[in-house]
Amino acid sequence: MPTHTPSFPDLLFDDAARLRRWETLLMTHLGAAGYRELLPSLVMRNPDNPSTVRFFDGDQLVALRWDFTEALARTLVRRFQEPPSRLSYAGPVFRRPANSWDPVERIEVGCERIQVDRAERSEADRELAQLLMAVPALLGLEGCLLHLGHGALLRRPLEAEGIPADLGLEVARVLDRRAIHRAAELLEGLPARARLLAHAEVLLSGPDGPGCLAALAHSPYGSLLEAEAEQLARVCAGLAGHLPPGLTLRLDLGDLRGMGYYTGPTLRLWAPGAQRELAAGGRYDGLYPDLGRPWFAAGFCVRLTTLLELAQTKEGAL
Amino acid sequence: MNAVKPLLIALPKGRLEEELLPRLRGTAFELDARALKSRRLRIPMADPGLEAILLKGADLPRYVAGGVAALGVVGSDILDECPVELMELSDLNFGVCRLSLCAPDHTSLEQLKARPHLRIATKFLGATGRWLRAQGITAELVPLQSSVELAPVLGLADAIVDLVQSGKTLLAHHLVELTQLGKASARLVACRGLFLSEPERIGPLARGLTGLLRVPE
Repeated sequence: MPTHTPSFPDLLFDDAARLRRWETLLMTHLGAAGYRELLPSLVMRNPDNPSTVRFFDGDQLVALRWDFTEALARTLVRRFQEPPSRLSYAGPVFRRPANSWDPVERIEVGCERIQVDRAERSEADRELAQLLMAVPALLGLEGCLLHLGHGALLRRPLEAEGIPADLGLEVARVLDRRAIHRAAELLEGLPARARLLAHAEVLLSGPDGPGCLAALAHSPYGSLLEAEAEQLARVCAGLAGHLPPGLTLRLDLGDLRGMGYYTGPTLRLWAPGAQRELAAGGRYDGLYPDLGRPWFAAGFCVRLTTLLELAQTKEGAL
Repeated sequence: MNAVKPLLIALPKGRLEEELLPRLRGTAFELDARALKSRRLRIPMADPGLEAILLKGADLPRYVAGGVAALGVVGSDILDECPVELMELSDLNFGVCRLSLCAPDHTSLEQLKARPHLRIATKFLGATGRWLRAQGITAELVPLQSSVELAPVLGLADAIVDLVQSGKTLLAHHLVELTQLGKASARLVACRGLFLSEPERIGPLARGLTGLLRVPE
């Protein structure tokens, strides 16, 4: 009998039905807000990331779609002079996970807002945050947490100290694991070590809430990060005013995942007992300029595969 | 009414266990002595809401990363060999060892580098591979799980990379440390999902364990 590979899970009846129901709910939710679906090809060219599923198409190396945002961006810069402002997507992405037992094939639903005018960014961020905050109730989830972070809280001090980009990303990776002792090892021998570690202590120590941002003022980079602290305080107050019942907002200054990608505040949706965040997003204004277009973009995706895992462990919860 | 399931804490068997268990005595994390003497691997703790599972170090990170155990104590040598997604909350600073390249007496590092077909026996394939790449050395890695010191003595390898604590085992096999690749010590780890989605439940336990177990530098 052939051996089944769990990296590419088959979804049998109940799971398939759940998946379709959630996909319909979310796409209807996004459609009602004016988001139109774009379905980029399942095959992407020029894969330079080793975590993708790559194969040869004739003499060309290609990969299965590893990320919707990048796939959408490649399509849009090729086909549009002026970008559509609201996009949605649904389907699988294929990426090798950190844990070898997790699936390579994952199903996502998400959305993106693109702006040509810098001044429209705040309004777009507010709209996306409100759409994301409505997701737990749509899916029947209770007791969820919304983590608000900002990668620039580490990126700007690293840049100010002239830390090489590769080392900076490695420091962000270990601090995202809350392993400040590993950061101490990585920064060994650098003149800025003590300052950066004192700052990392502030990022990882909490407490959650307004005190968290007040503590940032006592960091060695407090004055450098005044604008980011003010932005977070503003976003926090704005979100708190629109939080639906049952959803708790939590400042997480140690959320440094995606520091090299996100350019503004980030949001991650957690449900009690979930192994991974159910949804994540933020602003990534560097993406389109890297592809030659002066556009600004933000978005989020909901990870339906994570939701399925949660449903399987918490029977009756979803 | 559903009873709340006890929260599992994964503790290592072997080298770290001997240093760890005495530190838990008289606390909410103390392991039930009778269960500990039995063959059970799931041991109640003094706090009825907690249970310990005793695991081999190499398996422990998977139990934590998979969300079976909320917290765990494991050596950094194991973590460096096991690329899983978890939180590494604290260097507990006990069970401290050196990860070293060792070879028979009177062998120098230069002599090893000059060998046309250098063979290094080790359990730590990841850390050894990373060190070799950084040094620009080509070698064949001979994967072994235990009694690595025998490999150069019996001619299976030219050198070994292994954990060294006192150096007595090396001495008994006429081996010497040529260079140190890194340091290993016990770490407190947490399941990323539980740590971030249930901070009020996991955070205080993690702080409590760190307070009990961390040895001041």
